Amino acid sequence: MKKKTKFKRRDLMSWLVMLPSVILFAFYVWEPLLENVRLSLYSTIRYQTIDFVGLANYSRVLKVPDFMAAFKNTFSYTFWSLLIGFFVPMIMAVLISETVHLKSFFRVGVYFPNIVPGLATIWIWNYFFTPGPTGVLNILLGKIGIAPQVWLNDSRWTIPLIVITMTWKAAGSTALIYMASISGISADLYEAATIDGATIWQRIKNITLPSITGLARTLLILQVISVFQILYEPMVLKNGGPNNASISLMMLVYRFAFRDSDFSGAAAMSVMICIILILLSGLYMKLTRKKEEY
Amino acid sequence: MKRRVAGLLGATLAASMMLGVAAQAADITVNLGIWPEDTLTDEITMHEGFLEKMKELRPDVEYVPAYYKYSTDTFMPMVEASTVPTVFESWFTEPQKLIKQGAVADITDQLEERGWLDAMNPAIRELLSDENGRIYGTPRDGYALGLMVNVDLFKQAGLVDENGVPKFPQTWDELAEDAKAIKEATGAAGLCLLAKDNAGGWHFSNIAWAFGATLVTENEDGTFTANLASDEAIAAMEYVKSLKWEYDVLTADPTSEDWGTGFTQIATDNAAMYIAANDAVNQPTAGNGMALENLAMCAIPAGPGGQYSLSGGTPYMFSKDATPEEIDAALDYLEVMGKCPVVSDETVSGLEADAQMRKDAGIPVIQKFPCWINEDFLAAEEKSIEENANVDPALYQPYFDAVSADGLRTEEPGQTQDMYAELTKVLQAVLTDESADVASLMQTANENYQTILDNAAPAAE
Repeated sequence: MKKKTKFKRRDLMSWLVMLPSVILFAFYVWEPLLENVRLSLYSTIRYQTIDFVGLANYSRVLKVPDFMAAFKNTFSYTFWSLLIGFFVPMIMAVLISETVHLKSFFRVGVYFPNIVPGLATIWIWNYFFTPGPTGVLNILLGKIGIAPQVWLNDSRWTIPLIVITMTWKAAGSTALIYMASISGISADLYEAATIDGATIWQRIKNITLPSITGLARTLLILQVISVFQILYEPMVLKNGGPNNASISLMMLVYRFAFRDSDFSGAAAMSVMICIILILLSGLYMKLTRKKEEY
Repeated sequence: MKRRVAGLLGATLAASMMLGVAAQAADITVNLGIWPEDTLTDEITMHEGFLEKMKELRPDVEYVPAYYKYSTDTFMPMVEASTVPTVFESWFTEPQKLIKQGAVADITDQLEERGWLDAMNPAIRELLSDENGRIYGTPRDGYALGLMVNVDLFKQAGLVDENGVPKFPQTWDELAEDAKAIKEATGAAGLCLLAKDNAGGWHFSNIAWAFGATLVTENEDGTFTANLASDEAIAAMEYVKSLKWEYDVLTADPTSEDWGTGFTQIATDNAAMYIAANDAVNQPTAGNGMALENLAMCAIPAGPGGQYSLSGGTPYMFSKDATPEEIDAALDYLEVMGKCPVVSDETVSGLEADAQMRKDAGIPVIQKFPCWINEDFLAAEEKSIEENANVDPALYQPYFDAVSADGLRTEEPGQTQDMYAELTKVLQAVLTDESADVASLMQTANENYQTILDNAAPAAE
C-alpha cells in the first residue's frame, strides 16, 4: 500500500513536469484541431461561424473542378517520393557509415542542402529548370550537345522533378537519423562478421539493414504524412501548373483560406486530408504488423 | 543611494504616466496603413510633409504611420483581431470579397457629406459598392491596361519613325509580326505573356475581347452563364498559342511569368512588349532601373472584335472597426494627399508633391486614369503633371487616346478570379504542349467555370 502511494507521488511529479508542454500542446495543437473540425461543419463569415450546415462544406469542396487533379497528384507525389526519396537517405547513411576517411566531411555535405531556407532552394532549382537556352541545366546539357529541355513544363515530369528537388533538400537530415541508428549497432557484430570473413556487402545485408528496418518503417510513414501535405514547392515553382499538373490538396486548402477567405471550405478540406492520412497510417500499421507475425 | 534610485524611479514613473495622459489628449487616432514602405524614402519624405500639414489642420487627431502591405493571408486574421489600420490600400480584385465578408467599413455617409460621391468615376464606383449601392472605398487611382514598350528594342529592330517614336502595333496580327522582327533582330522576346497565376487569365480576357468574345453573361435571375468556349474565345486562345509555336516570340517560360516578372523582363531588355497599366509605370523604371526615355506605352491592339482596354481602380479601404470620426480624419489625410475630387490649396500641393516625388525618383510623370470626373480637379491634376513632365508625350499618346475612347471595359462579372484561374490553366496547356487541342481545353474550362458559378450561387443567398 505504502509503495503504491509513493509511486503515485512520483507520478504526480512527472505530470507536473509535463504540465507546461501539455498546456502548450492543448492550446496550440489540440484545441485548434478540434476548432477546425467544428469550423468545417458551419457556414462562416470570416472566421466566425454562422449556421450549422452539417457536411455541406465537404460536398461543396468535393465539387471544386480542381479537386480530382489535386487528389490524384497528391498520391502521385507520395508515390514518387517513396520511389525516389525513400531509399536515398538509407543508401547515403550506409555508405557514409562504411566510409573510413573524410567521414565528417561527407556527413556535413549531405546535410548541407538542409540548412538552405526552403524558398531559396526552390528558387535555385527554378533557375536550374528554366526551359530554353538560359536554364542552368540546359546550359550544362548544351555543353555535351543535348538540346534544351522543357523540364517542369512537360506535365508528365513535373511531379517527379519536384520530388527530386525535395529529396535533394531533405535526404540529408533523414540520413543523419539512419547514421545515428547505425552507429548504435554493436561493433562486436561487425568484428565477429569480419573475423568470419564476411564481405562489406554481407555485413550491410545481414547486420546493418536488419538493424535499421524498424526505424525505416517509422520514417516511411512520417515521409508519407509529410509529403501528403506538400504545399510550397509546387506553389512557388509552377503555381500548381502547367494546367494543374502539380496542384496538391494543400494548395487547394491554401486557395480556399487565403485567396477566397472561405475558411469553412479550407477547414473541411484539411479535415479530409487528416482522415486520409489516418486511414493510410492505419492501413500501413496493419500491413506491417501482419508481416511481423510471420 | 537606494533612496535616490527609488526617487528616480518614482519620477520616471510619474513622467511616463503624464506622457501617457498627453498621448491620450488626441482623442482620435488614425493608423495610416497607406504609409510607404521603408525602402521608398522619397515617398516617406513626402508623407512626413503631409503629417506636418495635418498637425495644423487637425490638431485633434493623432496620425500614426502604420505601414501595411495588404496580403490575403494576413488580412482576415487582422480583421478578427481588430488590428487593421484605419485606412489601407487594397488590390483591384479585393473590394467585392472584403465587402461580402463584412471586413471593411461603409463610408457612404462620409463621402456624401463631402460631396465626393458624384465625382467618382461610375465604373470605379461600381467596383467599390455593394448590391445596395453603399460604398466602401475611395479610389487611389484608376488604371486601364495598355501595352508597355521597350523603345530601345523597337529601335534595334528598325520599328521607329523619324523622331525615334516606336511604330506601335495597331492589331494583334501586327503585334505578332513586330514581335517576330524584334526577336530576329535582337534575340529578345517580342512579348512577355503571363501564364503563372491568375494575372495570365486577367490579361487574356482583354485579348479575348479584341477577338469579339464575351466570357461570361449575367442572366436576369442573377445567375451567370460561362462563355469561354465561344468561337471568338477559342480564336483568341489559338492566337496566343501561335505566338509560342508559330511565331516563337515569347519569353523562355511564360508559365513562370507573373505580374512582377513582366516588368523585370521589359526593363532588362529581355522582352519588347508587356501588357500593363499606366499606374504601374514606376515598376519598370524606379523598380527595375529602366531609363525613362526607354519606356513607352500604347493601346492594347485591336482584333477582329474591336479595341478594348480593361479598366479598374486601386482602392483605399477602411477598417470595419473605424469610427465615423476616424474615417473622417482619414479622409482628411487623403485630401491633403490630393487623392480626392476636391480642389483646395491642400490637394493642389498634394498633387504637386506627388508629381515632384515621381520626377525625383525617375518615374514617368504622365496623365492619370481619371478616377474622379469633376472638371476642376482634372484640370488641377493636369497642371501638376504638365509642370513636372519628364517624358516625351508622344511616347504615351496612343495609350491615352485609346483610354479616353469608347473601348474601356471593366472586368467580367461573376467569380472573376475563378474564371482567370481556368483561363490560366488553358494558357499553360497551350504554351507547353504544341499538340494541345484548344477547343477541347476551352470546353473543359467552360464546364469547370460553369460548375463554379453554379456552386457559388447558394453561398450568395
